[in-house]
Amino acid sequence: MGFSKVEVVTSMNKLDNLKTALSKLGVSGITVVQAIGCGVQKGTFEYEAEQNAEMELLPKQLIIIVVEDEIVEKVIETIKKELYTGHIGDGKIFVTPLSNVIRVRTGEEGTEALK
Amino acid sequence: MEEKKLGLPSVISTGVGLIVATSCLMSLGQGTGILGTGFIISMILACFINICTALCMAELNAVMPNLTGGLAQYTLAGIGPFVTIVTMVGGYIVCQSIAGSVECAMFGNAINTVFDTGIPSSVFCIFLLVVLITANLLGVDMFAKIQNVVAYGLIISLVIMGILGAFGLGTGQKVEQATNLAGSFSDCFALLGLAFFLFIGCEFVIPISVNVKNERKNVPLGMVLSLLIILGMQIVVVIGMGHYTRFEDLAQSPSPHILYGNALLGYIGSLWMILVSIFAVISTVNSAISFLSYMCAGMAKINLMPSIFLKKNKRGAYYVGVLMIGAVMILINATGLSTSDSLSFMILVAIVFWMVSYVIADINVLIFRHRLPKAPRTFKVPFGPVIPVIAVVGNLFMIWNIDGDPAVRNLIFMIDGMIFLALAIYAVLWCKLKLKRPMFRPIPVHEVMAMENSLYLVAHKKIRKYKSENMCKGTNSQAEKGEVC
Repeated sequence: MGFSKVEVVTSMNKLDNLKTALSKLGVSGITVVQAIGCGVQKGTFEYEAEQNAEMELLPKQLIIIVVEDEIVEKVIETIKKELYTGHIGDGKIFVTPLSNVIRVRTGEEGTEALK
Repeated sequence: MEEKKLGLPSVISTGVGLIVATSCLMSLGQGTGILGTGFIISMILACFINICTALCMAELNAVMPNLTGGLAQYTLAGIGPFVTIVTMVGGYIVCQSIAGSVECAMFGNAINTVFDTGIPSSVFCIFLLVVLITANLLGVDMFAKIQNVVAYGLIISLVIMGILGAFGLGTGQKVEQATNLAGSFSDCFALLGLAFFLFIGCEFVIPISVNVKNERKNVPLGMVLSLLIILGMQIVVVIGMGHYTRFEDLAQSPSPHILYGNALLGYIGSLWMILVSIFAVISTVNSAISFLSYMCAGMAKINLMPSIFLKKNKRGAYYVGVLMIGAVMILINATGLSTSDSLSFMILVAIVFWMVSYVIADINVLIFRHRLPKAPRTFKVPFGPVIPVIAVVGNLFMIWNIDGDPAVRNLIFMIDGMIFLALAIYAVLWCKLKLKRPMFRPIPVHEVMAMENSLYLVAHKKIRKYKSENMCKGTNSQAEKGEVC
């Protein structure tokens, strides 16, 4: 069975509901990193009339989840629905294939390491 | 983070409270007087079409969540500014002003029905409006605080009176008459407009969705259940009315609920209904004035109405909107709106606007499905395009059957057409001169969402001013040549 790494970059205040929804799906671990960054709007606030000429970095969070390929679509759908507000800054989701997962404490690999 | 507290029962009670108003009793009495229990068929059809529209509203709220302007903002992103101004801004405000005026007229009628003062009903209405306009300008929120209490008082009273009447438990004398006066389905279709009025307003639930637990399930479900509960409640009242009041009296009465209360329980019944309905009218008209002034301000915020509507007085009231809406309602009531015929005619004139705005909302769902097929929706109306299409066709069918009498129908269409024409002229001028955007090009969803931010208008005004100043500087040489900047 394969694995995927799902990385989500989103604004700072959207973690609580996402955590609850992912827990319901059976996602067993999550890593959250506070970050600064910007997307195609170069950090322009949505109400502003003109786009920034230079990139302005805004506070964001990077959420990292590793899941089995079997549930990756479901996880992505859940993340999309939880983060969606229609406003600029809802975020982006990056999905990459993963070759293996290893639990250091026990040496377990693959699915066993995720449970 | 603010804790979400409202569950499904709160959504249902809010929905029921917002939909039921005293003026609904007018159309209920009229419809029952004309068709007897046959009116129940019209009510079921109207309720079904409203449920389809309610589901569409819930999906629109999922695509563009937590907007204050609601239907106007969906349409701005769906179809563009022209249709938004004509149907949502103008149409909705005109419709609400007329509906509020009818509600107000019920106040004068209720007093004269019981006390027979000899003073024209419109005098009471205008007095009430002056008091409520003043209260709104002074920021007095006493009437708003009692709104839920009186709305539930009205609903509970209707349920009790309906059950007493339906089971023949009243103290008054029962009437022997044929219960069903409808000869065919076309008779029922002819009263769909009146029946529709009993169920409008479920979209007012959407603004509270932000405070609802599990809103993706509870908001649409709550809206549907509210409509079904109202249908059930009103069916019981129709049956009760058939047992205790003559249909011809019901059809003629400008206050059918008081007539029914009197027939069912005597003078006590009249007093009960007048007390409940007077409080209900006061709180409903009060919130209509306040709601419309906020709506005008909301439209000004997204640059669809003059920015003068954003002006507040020292008490924080949008006084331009309050005064304008109040003046319109006084003007309508001053025309002597008091007979049952004139009231139901006004209701029919008003609800065509409401139906048109529902049609546009249903079309918006189809447009967003086409344009943003992958946008995550926390709620999506099931069965693909079937329900939105049924809602569009159903609402158009109700508009076409707004009245059984072709002459009345044509008059309604003529009045509404003239108002729509005036709104269209305003919309063209506003789009060309003020908004300076193509009339039929939708504004991107993210920009409409950004308009919610109070800084949007400020930031955009600043940049426009800056650009125009720079343009003037850049053309100084032209100015020197005598060309005006």
